[in-house]
Amino acid sequence: MDDWLLFLHVLAAFLLVITVVMYSAVALGGTLGGRATFIADRCWDVGGLGTLILGVWLALKLDEYGIFDGWIIGALVLWLVATGLGETVRKRTAEVRDGDGTVTTGAVTTLHWVRTLTVLALLVLMIWKPGA
Amino acid sequence: MKFPLFLHVLSAMALVGTLVLAATSVAADNHRLGYRALLWGAIPSWIVMRVAAQWVFSEQGWDDVDPEPAWIGIGFATSESTFLLIIAATVCAWRAVKRGRGDGLRTAVLVLLALVLVAYLVAIWAMTTKPT
Repeated sequence: MDDWLLFLHVLAAFLLVITVVMYSAVALGGTLGGRATFIADRCWDVGGLGTLILGVWLALKLDEYGIFDGWIIGALVLWLVATGLGETVRKRTAEVRDGDGTVTTGAVTTLHWVRTLTVLALLVLMIWKPGA
Repeated sequence: MKFPLFLHVLSAMALVGTLVLAATSVAADNHRLGYRALLWGAIPSWIVMRVAAQWVFSEQGWDDVDPEPAWIGIGFATSESTFLLIIAATVCAWRAVKRGRGDGLRTAVLVLLALVLVAYLVAIWAMTTKPT
């Protein structure tokens, strides 16, 4: 049971990175079609919910971790920041998207890279688990 | 030492992300982005992922363990076999870019990438649940 929870938690994290990679292509000048953008956004939704719910579930279930461990609280804070940034990037991208779907605003690109760094920081916490 | 594991997981996530980006781009007849995602994203990510896997393998002393656990075997088998499929998909995407149209090449890329993604789903399951 715990193994499957961990598998699904990690799978959800992969979905988050799929979104980050797809939006990175846009930030680097590529063009995503409507369907690709839809897939990227759904990956962010499912990945975000999956990492949060399954991560909290694991923290409550496993004896070696506690929900109030510093690295888990840090991860929850980073998750909130990443979610906020992701939502902002999604909305602003839709607003500034021109005819061929290319993001034209530098601010959106900057927000995307900040979101990317936040997701990277989450992965660092998950691997090193400082204080655990 | 957690750095090799971090590098392995990060590159594996980037690999899956670039494969999904390539698949969605090729499906939308954006062969150039699909080709670039494979050439500049998936192949370098695969190389880093595989080198880091070997690093983790040596670091954790798995090369002294006989017989090798099943999950390690699954990891090596999926990574090495899929590299050939990624190369084949890249060549097909490149041909599609040169021809300026997809036709059968588009289907070939999508089938190859679907096979690779299914194999990676199995690999992620094996890496997290560690079946004996």
